[in-house]
Amino acid sequence: MEDSGTPEFCRKPVLILGCGNVFFGDDGFGCAAIEYMQSRCEMPEHVCLLDGGTGVRKLLFTLLLSAVRPARLLIIDAVDTGRTPGELVEIRPSELPVKKLDDFAMHEVPSSNLLEELRRSGMEVRILGCQTGPLPDQICPGMCGPVEAAVPKAAEWIAREYFTRL
Amino acid sequence: MSKTIVIQPVTRIEGHAKITIQLDDAGNVDRARVNVIELRGFERFCKGRPVEDMPRIVTRICGVCPWSHHLAAAKACDAVFGVEPPPAGRKLRELCNSIAYMEEHILHFYFLAGADFLVGPDADYTERNVLGIVKAAPEIAQRVVRVRHLCARMLEILAGKAIHPQVAVPGGFSKPLLPEEQKALCAMAAEAHDLARFSIAFAKENVFPKYLDLVKSLGTITTGFIGTVDDKGALNLYDGKLRLMAQDGTLEEFPYDRYTDYIAEHVESWSYLKFPYAKKWGPFSMDLDHPSGIYRSNTLARMNVCECIDTPLAQAELEEFRRNFGRPAQLTLLYHWARLIELLYNSENAMRLLNDPEITSPETRVKVEPRAARGVGSVEAPRGTLIHDYETDADGMVTSVNLIVGTTHNNAPINMSVTQAAKTRIKNGEYDQGVMNTIEMAIRAYDPCLSCATHRLDGRLFVKVDIVDAWGQLLDSFAN
Repeated sequence: MEDSGTPEFCRKPVLILGCGNVFFGDDGFGCAAIEYMQSRCEMPEHVCLLDGGTGVRKLLFTLLLSAVRPARLLIIDAVDTGRTPGELVEIRPSELPVKKLDDFAMHEVPSSNLLEELRRSGMEVRILGCQTGPLPDQICPGMCGPVEAAVPKAAEWIAREYFTRL
Repeated sequence: MSKTIVIQPVTRIEGHAKITIQLDDAGNVDRARVNVIELRGFERFCKGRPVEDMPRIVTRICGVCPWSHHLAAAKACDAVFGVEPPPAGRKLRELCNSIAYMEEHILHFYFLAGADFLVGPDADYTERNVLGIVKAAPEIAQRVVRVRHLCARMLEILAGKAIHPQVAVPGGFSKPLLPEEQKALCAMAAEAHDLARFSIAFAKENVFPKYLDLVKSLGTITTGFIGTVDDKGALNLYDGKLRLMAQDGTLEEFPYDRYTDYIAEHVESWSYLKFPYAKKWGPFSMDLDHPSGIYRSNTLARMNVCECIDTPLAQAELEEFRRNFGRPAQLTLLYHWARLIELLYNSENAMRLLNDPEITSPETRVKVEPRAARGVGSVEAPRGTLIHDYETDADGMVTSVNLIVGTTHNNAPINMSVTQAAKTRIKNGEYDQGVMNTIEMAIRAYDPCLSCATHRLDGRLFVKVDIVDAWGQLLDSFAN
């Protein structure tokens, strides 16, 4: 068996990466969107869908340092930008507040710095955010109605933007 | 006027923490406290679920060390169901553990702690990170990245997916290894082994000698240790007995399910996280001059508690380590050295397991039946001894869950090491960024994984230093 030793998420031209913690209510939006697409959509050969959970920063770290990597990256995540819960919004990496010193830690997904570095290295980096409702302070899985309803809308948007090869 | 310096969070460790350093009237350190955020509500969430779901659920607790939680949960389920996996199932689990270790230890040495050593603790913050390392040592960085890829790919082949593994199941391992996969994995493991050999040789020649003074002074405390050994007392990261070593080197061993006879949990009002301690050495005290009940886990602890390592190259390294630093070795920064010995051990162990003809046996799991029982599973996670303790009712539904994660064992020692580092590095209210980082270095040596709570994309976290007087009045505030 020939194997280049490079993980699949580095090899495919398009990487769609859901992130979040499914244990904390609406924070699990990114993971839910990936699961929805995996179970309902026919996946084009050039796309890798990955539910990164709370380990996304580690994956981005690997991508940043990898010689083989996708040309296009989409992050799907829960955000709080003061909109109505369930509202989808595209955010540019440069629009994220640059808190310099949250850089390069592993948990606090995905640092604006890592995304900005990926973008500077020539990768197309986009972020699809979903406005959350209030998040629980203890483990409490399950999203609120409006955020749940945003999952198929996000899937539709992603299919439109990424599933046809440019 | 006494002041409090707050550093939050500690960057480049997993999760986030806030360090509070209380100064006295003269501007010297009175005490330091490391506050962490703990994942709450997990036990309540698990109650009433089928216990066989636990190995799958727990990988969601932590995106950093999912394999350790996955395997500890599978082992706790084995115990609940009263079964032993067949040899191939057990060996495949252990192989995954060793590969996950390599991935983690490489990351930590080169890219997390590495920034302190390869770029320098006093370097500007914008350089003291992974990109600074790539700039400072591009050839090494490329090699390291390649092997991290290989480790991720090996786990992908073994588990059938890249992250959130589900392959370890109660009673064994759900995916037998095919001979052609074994062949591909052997070649990858050999490349990882080459890097492991290079890493410790490189560190002994280029890194450790340069920082030996720092190693001898930073965060040094005297404690006992905990780790896992096999029947012969050899290091084992997947299975065996727990062994506690007191400061004077005396040992006692116990099976996982008796941990509550030996370990108690102390509570401090200022910390969410509990402070485990050795019951028999108690009462609990973090006094730097007279600590009591305190033990450490993670790499240095494992090097101390074991009699030997059953792979030849790592054993030779252990012997050299002991000639240099004795047993038990107490210097906190030796965690890094111990980490590289473990990296070597895991690379040897992975090759040994892959060359074992039994590993491709299709018999990888046994059938399980629900019953009312208690089961305790434990593995040595990269960050310390990880214990999962479950109880079920007659239908196999979870009735209670208790987890002690690696970092929790080190809660008291981390606080002590930070206090020690702060005392020696902050004098008369004087400090700068380099001094702050040496305090953070004391924490990073333990490779803590502090929190797996919610995250947000909007980058809310950053390092913030507040200076507060004894009455809680904010005197100064800045972000570095």
